Amino acid sequence: MNTNILDIANLHVAVGDKEIIKGIDLSIKKGEVHVLFGPNGSGKSTLLCAIMQLPGYTITEGSVHIHDTDTAELTTDAIANLGVGMSFQYPPKIKGVTLRRFLDSISQSRDLHSSIAALNMEPFLERELNVGFSGGELKRAEILKLYAQSPDLLLIDEPESGVDIENITVISNAINTILQKESPMASRERSALIITHTGNILSTVHADVGHVFMDGKIICTGNPLDIMEDIKKGGFSGCIQCIANHKEKQ
Amino acid sequence: MNSYDEPTLQAMKNVAYNLGEDKSATFFARDTQIVDAHSATSAVEILPIEIALEKYEWLRKLSYSLVSADQDSYVEEVANNPANLGYFIRVRAGEKVVLPIYTCYLIDSSRFTQCTHNIVIAEEGSEFHLISGCTSNVHAESGRHIGVSEFFIHDNAIVTSTMVHSWGKEVEVYPRTAAYVGKNGTFVSSYVALGSVKSVQMDPKAIIKEGGLGEFYSVIYAPEGSVFDVGSTALLEGEGASTQMISRVVSNGGHVLTRGKIIGEKSGGRGTMACNGLLLSDKGFIHAIPELVANNPNLELSHEASVGMISKDELAYLMASGIEEDRAKSLIIEGFLDLHIPSLPEYLQRQINALVEETKVFDTI
Ligand SMILES: Nc1ncnc2c1ncn2[C@@H]1O[C@H](COP(=O)(O)OP(=O)(O)OP(=O)(O)O)[C@@H](O)[C@H]1O
Ligand SMILES: [Mg+2]
Repeated sequence: MNTNILDIANLHVAVGDKEIIKGIDLSIKKGEVHVLFGPNGSGKSTLLCAIMQLPGYTITEGSVHIHDTDTAELTTDAIANLGVGMSFQYPPKIKGVTLRRFLDSISQSRDLHSSIAALNMEPFLERELNVGFSGGELKRAEILKLYAQSPDLLLIDEPESGVDIENITVISNAINTILQKESPMASRERSALIITHTGNILSTVHADVGHVFMDGKIICTGNPLDIMEDIKKGGFSGCIQCIANHKEKQ
Repeated sequence: MNSYDEPTLQAMKNVAYNLGEDKSATFFARDTQIVDAHSATSAVEILPIEIALEKYEWLRKLSYSLVSADQDSYVEEVANNPANLGYFIRVRAGEKVVLPIYTCYLIDSSRFTQCTHNIVIAEEGSEFHLISGCTSNVHAESGRHIGVSEFFIHDNAIVTSTMVHSWGKEVEVYPRTAAYVGKNGTFVSSYVALGSVKSVQMDPKAIIKEGGLGEFYSVIYAPEGSVFDVGSTALLEGEGASTQMISRVVSNGGHVLTRGKIIGEKSGGRGTMACNGLLLSDKGFIHAIPELVANNPNLELSHEASVGMISKDELAYLMASGIEEDRAKSLIIEGFLDLHIPSLPEYLQRQINALVEETKVFDTI
């Protein structure tokens, strides 16, 4: 039996005429947390958007399977309902729709009281969704959305960018709760693919696998903390050098 | 209490005319017959217009002074109509009437033309809230409703007038409304039409004196086959007079002209206008026509208008959280039409929201 929640094979994605994702293979097992590192514009967000089949992202080659289901012919809501939730890097404002109304529409009457409290979101429930939210508030609202959806696979795009230290802790703890981090590995049902620039989140959220993403490709996969250390020391140019050295040796 | 048959009760419900609700006064007319006209408080006088004009000589001078009897063929038709249907409402000086005054006109017979003439007087320093529903019975698909309404809002008085329409597919509607707003007076006019109709054409006007305020809100959902030509005009006649016009229009195949005109005469006048349209289908159109006229250099007049379709990004965002496409569109449309009217009392706003919730017919999206 395939225990993978996500299977991506030879994925190519174009935005308009431009190929952004240039052949990716990536599988995430049940209970695993993967992080994606990569420079601005390398295509990280594009990968998440393509998994959700958001409009404007065309899969030109390859496939995405969620729980063994090929998503090629599915609409965005159908993919979400397979058990995928995405925290957007830039969520749009939705005028006239309160955060409470939105949560009610997606939570299938799950009790969100404790999650709302944990993310300090009570004061925002009657506000219009994402309208006038600060950077940190946007991120907290996105994580609260994931609580409400309670998906098997979390796609989280830069949860810590533009967020102060205290709120990074709040957000990281919330992610851990959704990922059932208090339970033993074998009983965890949920997985995540988290995009991070700074890696700050890794001090609280334990990740199992790290990938370096560059120019539409995964160029390196390994222990996330080791990768982060290397990037901190040598930057992404260091990664390029490292790969080149590696190839020479081979 | 009068008893009404089931279709009548449903028609009433569609325009928020709830029999159980507490009201300070009520007026209900079916075709040309006045079924109910009574007030629960001495602060509010409510009479059939015919009786009021007989009773008060001074009222005859006011009659057709704001809306001229020969303004157009529709007003002429009302002025010459032998039925003399309509109401007279007067709220006495200084009285603040908390409970709303409800009025309702019902077209009960097909192909019937209902002509009405209403005069509303807010004496100095008074305050009240008028909700007027206009509707047709399910079996009366066609017909015409021509309503002349004249509002005299004296100094320091506050009047909110909320007009809710719910019609049959072949009904034509021609409201002719004008308001005089005295010194530091306030007139808040809201219009809600969320369903089928053949055509609505109206352009309520307010003449606003020193320090007075006129606010106009409209929320319109125009399905296929409907034609709306809806505007408002504010004449800032006194110093420091101000106005605000906000309209939210959704066309799902309907033809919509949305107008606004602010004319500034005296210094310190302020006026803002916002018209936002959402076009759901290429069968319909929305034509926004904002006009600003400044006859004095010391005025602040501005307008903003936008017409577009449902944002793809917003739709995709909602769908990415598992909401199916039709439901996501409804959410966006409801949000778009959810207009908060700051000068309305909370309970009225809640009622309007509940009405939007109940009468929305977005199933054809
Ligand atoms: N709608 C679009 N039109 C044109 N180019 C696009 C569009 N969307 C994405 N791109 C391009 O695709 C490339 C990858 O963008 P993407 O947002 O995936 O990068 P990213 O790795 O998430 O970067 P960042 O770290 O800055 O968020 C960029 O060069 C971007 O300009
Ligand atoms: Mg990005």
